[in-house]
Amino acid sequence: MTAVTDTPSQQVHLTVGAKAALITVIVGALCLALEGAAPWLVKWPTAWELPATEWVGTFLDWFLNGIKPAMRLFSDLMTYPMDAANYVLGNTPWPILIGLVTALGWYLGGLPMAALGFVGLSFVLASGYWVESMNTLALVAVSVPVALTVGGAIGILANEVPKVKSFVQAVLDVMQTVPTFAYLTPLLLLFGFGPVVGLIASAIYAAPPMARNVMLGLERVEPEIKEAAIMSGGTRFQQLFQVEIPAAATQIMVGVNQCLMAALSMVIIAAVIGGFNDIGWEVLLTMRKAQFGEALMAGLVIVVFAVVIDRMSGTLATERKRYDQRVVWAVLGFTVLFTAAFWAWLPNPSELTILDPMADVIDSGLTAFTQANGPWLDALKNNSLFYVLLPLRIGLDQAVLPFTWGFQWTPGMSYGLFAVGAGIAALMAWRGRLTGGLVVLILIGMLETGISNLPWPFVLTATAALGWVAGGWRLAVLSVGLLCTILVSGLWERALLSLYLSGAAVFSCAVVGGLIGLASAVWGPVWKVVRPICDMLQTIPLFVFLIPVLMVFQIGEFSAFLAICAYAIVPMIRYTRHGLINTPEEMMEAAISSGATEWQIMRDVRGPYAAPTILLGLNQTILYAFAMLVIAALIGTTGLGQSIYLALGQADVGLGISAGAAMAILALIADRMVQGFAEERRKALGL
Amino acid sequence: MKKLSVSLLAMMVAGSAYAADMGAVDEPIKLAINEWTGQHITTHVAGEMLKAAGYNVEYVTAGMMNQFQAVADGDIDATLEIWSSNVSDEYAKKVAEGTVVEIGDLGLNAKEGIAYPAHVADLCPGLPAWEALKECAQVFATAETLPGGRLVDYPADWGTPGADRMTGLELPFKAVPAGSEGALIAELRASTERKSPLLITFWQPHWAMSAYDVQFVELPAGEDACFNDPAWGPNPNAVNDCDFSPSRIFKASWSGMEDKWPAAHEILTNYQLAVEDQQPMMGAIDVDGGSVEEVVAAWMSENEGKWRPVVDAATQ
Repeated sequence: MTAVTDTPSQQVHLTVGAKAALITVIVGALCLALEGAAPWLVKWPTAWELPATEWVGTFLDWFLNGIKPAMRLFSDLMTYPMDAANYVLGNTPWPILIGLVTALGWYLGGLPMAALGFVGLSFVLASGYWVESMNTLALVAVSVPVALTVGGAIGILANEVPKVKSFVQAVLDVMQTVPTFAYLTPLLLLFGFGPVVGLIASAIYAAPPMARNVMLGLERVEPEIKEAAIMSGGTRFQQLFQVEIPAAATQIMVGVNQCLMAALSMVIIAAVIGGFNDIGWEVLLTMRKAQFGEALMAGLVIVVFAVVIDRMSGTLATERKRYDQRVVWAVLGFTVLFTAAFWAWLPNPSELTILDPMADVIDSGLTAFTQANGPWLDALKNNSLFYVLLPLRIGLDQAVLPFTWGFQWTPGMSYGLFAVGAGIAALMAWRGRLTGGLVVLILIGMLETGISNLPWPFVLTATAALGWVAGGWRLAVLSVGLLCTILVSGLWERALLSLYLSGAAVFSCAVVGGLIGLASAVWGPVWKVVRPICDMLQTIPLFVFLIPVLMVFQIGEFSAFLAICAYAIVPMIRYTRHGLINTPEEMMEAAISSGATEWQIMRDVRGPYAAPTILLGLNQTILYAFAMLVIAALIGTTGLGQSIYLALGQADVGLGISAGAAMAILALIADRMVQGFAEERRKALGL
Repeated sequence: MKKLSVSLLAMMVAGSAYAADMGAVDEPIKLAINEWTGQHITTHVAGEMLKAAGYNVEYVTAGMMNQFQAVADGDIDATLEIWSSNVSDEYAKKVAEGTVVEIGDLGLNAKEGIAYPAHVADLCPGLPAWEALKECAQVFATAETLPGGRLVDYPADWGTPGADRMTGLELPFKAVPAGSEGALIAELRASTERKSPLLITFWQPHWAMSAYDVQFVELPAGEDACFNDPAWGPNPNAVNDCDFSPSRIFKASWSGMEDKWPAAHEILTNYQLAVEDQQPMMGAIDVDGGSVEEVVAAWMSENEGKWRPVVDAATQ
């Protein structure tokens, strides 16, 4: 950055933020003024695009064919554990499996866990999806250990070799943001057809949360503990595995939990390829018929697994008391006797239809609901579209029409709006908050133009400015460089559409999710209700919710917006709560003894201490929102998600990977900026 | 009369065929099971025919769009209901490569078109004639499509035939891609239950045609000239100003199948299934809740004349 304020005589010394905002305002104003004369400012001319998707496709074809034999070998190797898991789970009589899980529940957590295991698996049995569930379980049983190992190794590597940390962060972002659909086609080519592809896709997606939490946990180990380990003469290996990792266990278990959830949520994606008669395939079949009740039942089976696995694995992280082992043997003994005695009368689990009436009830309930509530739900949708989503996307100048707002937007109104914006900016600048004023002006300009119509020089400048403020000139250069690749590859318009939709969703999630997280942290009963809902939202295949959302709100952006929010809000809630309740005891005691009120503690002690964790949550929310864009394409959005879906259908490796990369780039930039601000915040607070 | 013509067809098929080698009888023949009920019926009927001939059959679930890599690798031996309107580019690539081969039409007569649930005729009088849509586009308008009407089109990866029709016929409608088949059905269901207006791109045979009483809009016949010659049809300046061209439904197999199981290959090549046979079975499964296996088994025993000759011709 060579732009140094030239004269020392200048009275007002501009802060970095103010300078950045000022440059952005100037570029924005120039673009607006020249819009008419130079249309290439708004729309990147097609002639300037490079056939990047084709190049990517050609290169990948060559590369994939090169490594194919090795991958096929790996695929063949993986079929052994896969077949073994399948065989064992598929051939164990169901009473024995239920008994085993119940006994395990008792061993881990006493009566409540035992009851959870028993009720959960009984539900699966009653649903009639036992065989499909066992296939799913086999897939997860193989993919989760793979994901845990890979994720854990990545996390430890990043901790041991600080140099690679930023690279590892980037790789993790890529793994989580390049949508699974984008690499399904190459995976199919590499690994051949069958469940192994699903297994690998789900392991790729599930490893990053584990890695992130291992990194965070190890980072947070108290220096005193580390020093004690060094002083007692342990080798680095001993320090790590006998001291630091156990000390970071709570955070790592959050990672294990998130890893399990992510793997289960990928079950449905694995089903899109097929090759495996699992529960995800059942969900897809019922989805295709828009049978909400049945799809929900099949989806709930996945949720039940998630809850049982999550709660049982959760007890491993906490200090637990010993439960009488005789009960374990008693339960197992009873199960074996039961199975032997009633062998001939055991019903075939596939023929159980106890829950079918329930599915019908839910389905007709949905019908009654849409019939009864149609008008006001339509009004809700139309108002959200007219007054929020459409202006955001195409700007007030195009969204305000006689049949939406009741009047026609005129250029005069634009000038008026800008004048008001300038007035506010001037007022704020006069009161010493120049940066804030300029940002208001920029936001008003964006609202007038609409995100999808923003001139590209403005977007690049604004990104550079934000990057500069958040993380210095390196981040600014990186962001602009990455955005330029999208610009020249011809995916720019779609990228802006994706940016608009996920941006709106992330903003809503951050506000609503943050508040729910806060409520859950201060008041226990709220968490009791919120937690199972979070588990359900994160693990139930979201396809299931697309049916009622579609029936109520129809195909379109509003439905997509809701679907994205439903998924992306979960990490915000979880991390906010986790951060707020995990304030170290000493800090709490110090605050209490100095006579702080509950509210003061929350604002001045817990809040700041939780800030890094909450920002990690925001980061995850951003990544989740981008991940959901592809699923949202199933309800007819345009944007990068649709490109990826198109590419999957046409086996166009180049387009799929390019669009996936574009999406990853957007997420990566957003993520780096959030982290940059977080770092600044931490420094400011002296953490 | 129909029975007679079917058995005549069967005899003709039988006449043209010759008994072939059974090939590797011990190894199971893997047939693809895709995402929709009609395909399950088609595949299970074929599977039962192969079993009657003495083969082992294994059904493998496979995504319709992604199955061709598996067929090319021989992980799946045949897939039996491919719609020409909705086939991925990968299929063409694999056929060009020589790893996948087409093994003839299935004989299922499909129809695609612009459609609406029956109650919409009350909202837009003049339907099913397509000219009526010019006047009542406003009825179909929504927040996203104002001032035009809304047409729910196929998912983007199936192409945009609905949008092409609207442009060709200069109808004031904006096509919205559905994203998935489930989304199309959800729209149909919501529209029927709420009695709300809906114009949609749809096809038959499909169970939803009868479940939601779906009617097709009458468009000018889809002749070849319509797609090449702008002058043809009601709009002298554009192509696509007509109905859909008829879709073809066909079968494909792994290229090695003919050598490995010659008789099975011949059975699958000569296998035919008519809409009149498939549609009632679809109803028995999707509307009445029967299982595919039971419904197909019942049909097989009642209609032996329709399939036995094909099996016998290849094996005896």
